[in-house]
Amino acid sequence: MFSLPTGQIGGRELFVVEFGDVVNYFSPYTASLFAFALIFTVIVIISRPERMVEIAFGGDAYLAKEIPTKDLAFQRFMAIACGLATLAAVVSGDLFNFALFTSMVGITNIGIVAAVRSRHVLNAAYQYGIVAMVATLPLFGAAAITLATTGSLSLWELYRAGITVPFVAKAFLVLGVMGEGMAPFYVAKAEITRAPGAPYILMIHVSSLLVFLRVVEIALSM
Amino acid sequence: MIISRISRFLSDYDNLVAAYAVLVIAVAVIGIVLIPGLVYEEEQLYPKQIDRASSLDPYDRGGEAFGRAEVAAQYPENSPYLGYVTAYLTPLARLMADETLHLGTTIVSHPGGIIDEILYNTRGLDTVAETSILFAAFAIAAYLFTRRD
Repeated sequence: MFSLPTGQIGGRELFVVEFGDVVNYFSPYTASLFAFALIFTVIVIISRPERMVEIAFGGDAYLAKEIPTKDLAFQRFMAIACGLATLAAVVSGDLFNFALFTSMVGITNIGIVAAVRSRHVLNAAYQYGIVAMVATLPLFGAAAITLATTGSLSLWELYRAGITVPFVAKAFLVLGVMGEGMAPFYVAKAEITRAPGAPYILMIHVSSLLVFLRVVEIALSM
Repeated sequence: MIISRISRFLSDYDNLVAAYAVLVIAVAVIGIVLIPGLVYEEEQLYPKQIDRASSLDPYDRGGEAFGRAEVAAQYPENSPYLGYVTAYLTPLARLMADETLHLGTTIVSHPGGIIDEILYNTRGLDTVAETSILFAAFAIAAYLFTRRD
């Protein structure tokens, strides 16, 4: 009974995971995103953090940055949570569910940088945090407009040819994901990724890129 | 010229919120212009009747305990106990619902006050995700509160 309408850019579904009305699906597209997120989550779980060494320019002095274990533990916890939210978001088969997990990605991203102590990183994270909080409005607004105009939230229904999702809902959805993940705006993220704590900090990039790739699939298929 | 000016504006992260706000306002204006084209779909997936006289208002979806209530779902075959969840009330909750107007819906009559079918059965994964978001937010707040500097 479950079969994705043909002609989707994501390809045919390989298998589905049913949670009541929320039916997650793995197509070649979402499965590869899922595999990538899974690999990176495993890396975050098993790897030890980098130790950043700064070399003084023009001399032979260098200084190693020590990060307290407590901060690293929190960063790792948030990075794992972010990876799990990304896993759920990239295979989600329901628009509202996708919006929820995307906003969780945004919140855990803020959590990852919250453990950093340098001032300019926290300043950038503050701006980024404001955008991520504001972005929940277009994100859930898109789900609300879609539910009101089509009567359903399941992507399986929305992908059908007879159902047209209004342009403004798609635009709001993409805008919301842009704000949560900051995929196209690398301004604040360039500052953030200069922070020490390599595999955990990079989770911010990976999660936002994967969620952005997923929203492109959703917006093109609807 | 114009590109270098834009890129200089964007390279300062203090302008990030402004840039995002401009985007949101632009799309919102387009959305307001397009409002006449949006038609409300009458066949909603999750219909809702408000019965002000019911003691379980506004959560009343009908049904008797151990019987089925009529609840719409996108994929009924995925929810074999559809309709049983919302119909059941514990005896205490049933007493409160019968005796008072609104107490049956409150936390007072828990465990087993009215449990919404859509929140906890057909769309249960959404509820799990919402709680996870709250938990992550609380964890961040607690961490920031206890960190010393």
